[in-house]
Amino acid sequence: MSLQNVLSRLPKGGPEQRAIEAGEIDAIIDRASSNVILLPAARRALRGLSSDARRGLSSDAPIANGVLAALPRKDYLALLDGLEPVALTYGTVLYEPGELIAHVFFPVDCLVSLLTAVEGHPATEVGMVGREGIVGITLALGMDVSSIRALVQGTGTAMRMNAARFRREFERSLPLQRGLYRYANAKLALARQTVACNQFHAVEPRLARWLLMTSDRLASDEFILTQRLLADILGVLRAAVSRAAGSLQQRRLIRYRRGKIRILDRQGLEAASCRCYTRIEA
Amino acid sequence: MSRRRHTPKKRGAGVTTVVVLRLYIAGGAPNSVQAIANLEAICREYLKGGHRLEVVDVLEHPGRAMAEGVLVTPSLEKLSPLPTANVVGNLSDKAKVLLALGVKDKAQ
Repeated sequence: MSLQNVLSRLPKGGPEQRAIEAGEIDAIIDRASSNVILLPAARRALRGLSSDARRGLSSDAPIANGVLAALPRKDYLALLDGLEPVALTYGTVLYEPGELIAHVFFPVDCLVSLLTAVEGHPATEVGMVGREGIVGITLALGMDVSSIRALVQGTGTAMRMNAARFRREFERSLPLQRGLYRYANAKLALARQTVACNQFHAVEPRLARWLLMTSDRLASDEFILTQRLLADILGVLRAAVSRAAGSLQQRRLIRYRRGKIRILDRQGLEAASCRCYTRIEA
Repeated sequence: MSRRRHTPKKRGAGVTTVVVLRLYIAGGAPNSVQAIANLEAICREYLKGGHRLEVVDVLEHPGRAMAEGVLVTPSLEKLSPLPTANVVGNLSDKAKVLLALGVKDKAQ
């Protein structure tokens, strides 16, 4: 959606367009896309602001990211002016393996998949980050190069911080260190469990687990996923995904139409998933 | 919303009713900050407390802006007394704001 499109939807020759030409407007409310679109000057200015209250991230507002929410208020407020909200769209690659990590991301309502490729095969998912976590934990562990590909799986927003600032804040804040070490440990446990899960469990329970985990991280029962992507994520052939999804659909646990998945019966889906789901969540 | 009638006061204090205003802004963006400052100055000078102002930050409450048909920010709505009026921009054009508020400019 380009700014030009949004501008063209305003009444022609109306006071809004005149005010925009005079540089007196900060944002356009686009009803077609249900978005508030900041004009470039306002966006730049808001980025540069240091006060959390003034950037529209009211310090009283609930903190949507789990890592940030777990910090003591003082530490959270110290981080705020280094964070900028960014919109991440489906299919965007945040890091490639071997690339220098320029930013860390605290997802708010987007979902990021961590993928590893084995020569000659499509990349397989080895981790998933949503509102509970951080993308770029590697930086906290002392490495500045990514070992995985981070791919945006669910469009949404995240809070972004540049690597240099993140390193400074990490060194300074003991609660942030503790929180991220705990998170890294949970990720490691998840990765170990996933290895075992992929080795021993059938596609259908794994698919069920993956759908539940996605739903938890997006805090939504509906999301978009193509079969091809699911096949890559689960490391199986597309036909196998199609069979497994068809079976879950037949049992009225999910509805899968044109890439859009809706969880109809959460309890049923939990029963259909492998036990790794609860273990990983714990 | 109550509409209280006051007896007209001296010139310059020309407030006869409580003016109910709503200003839509986008966080601390430059025009939004300026609009708040301009509006507060005008209200202080012309309305002398005979008004109620609600400031709505559309970055915090995007749903309200959609529901209430706001197209751009900053945007000022005079809700009461009728007729309603609307001014968009940073409210630096005092005459335009006063016209919308239904208040006579002291300079005239």
